[in-house]
Amino acid sequence: MEPKKIGTVYSGLSLNQADTAYFDDQGEEISIMPSVNVIKIGGQSIMDRGRSGLYPLLDEIVANKSTHKMILGTGGGTRSRHVYSVAMDLGMPTGVIARLGTLISHQNAKILHMLMCKHGGVFVLRDSFEHLALYLHAGCIPIIEGMPPYEIYERPARGGRIPESRTDTGIYLLGEVLGARSVIFAKDEDGLYTEDPKKNPKAEFIPKISVSELIRRDLNDLVVERKVLELMQNARHVRQLQIINALKPGTLTRALNGEHVGTIIYAD
Amino acid sequence: MVESSKHTSELFWEDGRSRLHIRSRFMMESLQDKALIQSTYTDKEVQILPDTHLVHLGGASIIDRGRAALEPLLEEIVAARKRQQIVLSVGGGARERHTYALGIDLGLPTGGLATLGWMICEQNAVMLYHLLARHRAIQVPYLHFEMLPVYLREGSLPIVMSMPNYFLWEHPSRRGRVPMHRPDTGAMLLAEVLTTRSCIYVKDVDGLYAEDPKKNPSAEFISRIKVAELAERNLNDLPIERAVLEVLQVARNRKEIQIVNGLKPGALTRALDGEPVGTVIHQ
Repeated sequence: MEPKKIGTVYSGLSLNQADTAYFDDQGEEISIMPSVNVIKIGGQSIMDRGRSGLYPLLDEIVANKSTHKMILGTGGGTRSRHVYSVAMDLGMPTGVIARLGTLISHQNAKILHMLMCKHGGVFVLRDSFEHLALYLHAGCIPIIEGMPPYEIYERPARGGRIPESRTDTGIYLLGEVLGARSVIFAKDEDGLYTEDPKKNPKAEFIPKISVSELIRRDLNDLVVERKVLELMQNARHVRQLQIINALKPGTLTRALNGEHVGTIIYAD
Repeated sequence: MVESSKHTSELFWEDGRSRLHIRSRFMMESLQDKALIQSTYTDKEVQILPDTHLVHLGGASIIDRGRAALEPLLEEIVAARKRQQIVLSVGGGARERHTYALGIDLGLPTGGLATLGWMICEQNAVMLYHLLARHRAIQVPYLHFEMLPVYLREGSLPIVMSMPNYFLWEHPSRRGRVPMHRPDTGAMLLAEVLTTRSCIYVKDVDGLYAEDPKKNPSAEFISRIKVAELAERNLNDLPIERAVLEVLQVARNRKEIQIVNGLKPGALTRALDGEPVGTVIHQ
């Protein structure tokens, strides 16, 4: 009744064993798409502005097409907030709430696709990711939904029931696993502030901050999901990301060119 | 009496056409505000499948043993199914580990490994389905979980694949690149979100010991332990994934799990009948 074994060094070991070479990185992790830039188009901050917020930004993206490879990911926005609110009222658990939120970022990705089709925008399902290289090579702009695919496998949130892994997390993780050149969050504020600048106009701007410092400050509100900070600490490739005000013309272009135009959060 | 609703269906443009909102308690929020997050807590989540047992069959510990281990165990499950509602989930095992070892050697990232490991788990679910088809098994992809009540009601034995669908989005680990959300964790997450009656891990050991019983035969058996205490003990080896313990610590619904020895005839049946036969880990 012995289990059938495959002869690798790990076959007899439990994956849970804390102190074994099994868990050690062996050699360098490859960068799958080292020249691609992953850009998040904010939901509430950009998409929900409609034409006035989105059209100029999309023009800017198209103008950068010949110089930069880009993948666009979408946030949710006010419809996510509304469905979370209704679902919470009905007693739904985190996993179901995540499943509902996924459909909104999916909607936004399809909206973006319809707007970008004429410029080579291509909607990419998660299980067609193997086509990404082809699309990018052909000069297309892949568009993905921002939510990670966890849905009902989303971990119960530690505080309340709002899923901890939402579209910031999904898009950041995509950049990390692809070994992307950059991850840029296009939002409607210049970056990170000590408080929500929409609630307190006197909040202080933070141009650059390390993850550990940000975690230490334990801010009451944040422009980026806390899960992203947690994940950045273990990142192998994308050790920093930039939050920019994409409503200001030219800001995304400058960020794509490697300039510091918003808030840079970096893992130390 | 219905309390005043915290959300409405009213749409409006903010400050003369800047952003289009729907009025709700979360409107214009970053969803990062700590007090707001805390206000969403409840221990009265909706009961989804409260009469259903989730039975998880280990990959290396059960499936990889082949017919000798699986045949008697499946007979027991089929017999129990006549009295109980059961959803079966299944792990990966040796091929999953081989995939990770090879992938790490080739430099693949964690998300790549998670994508590959998923398929091994799927293989085991396929095999389990064919073994149990004549007993009305049905393999249920996660997108069809909404069909579970129908299947259960008409006497089917649903088989789910509990490697969670983290794929490329698997979290990088601090150390090493083995995905942290593997089949045991998926089973725990399912049991929690579906509010199942139990979450039973069928493995090839009686449960937890203070030390590895293969190395020290007189190691003390642990029949019941708090998850916080277990995490604190930081045992060198565990028969279940560590992420299970993390999820269990914040669970609202499935506040205890049990590890039972699937190689001992009758153990699973007794566990399904509510007896503590192995190790119970609780909140």
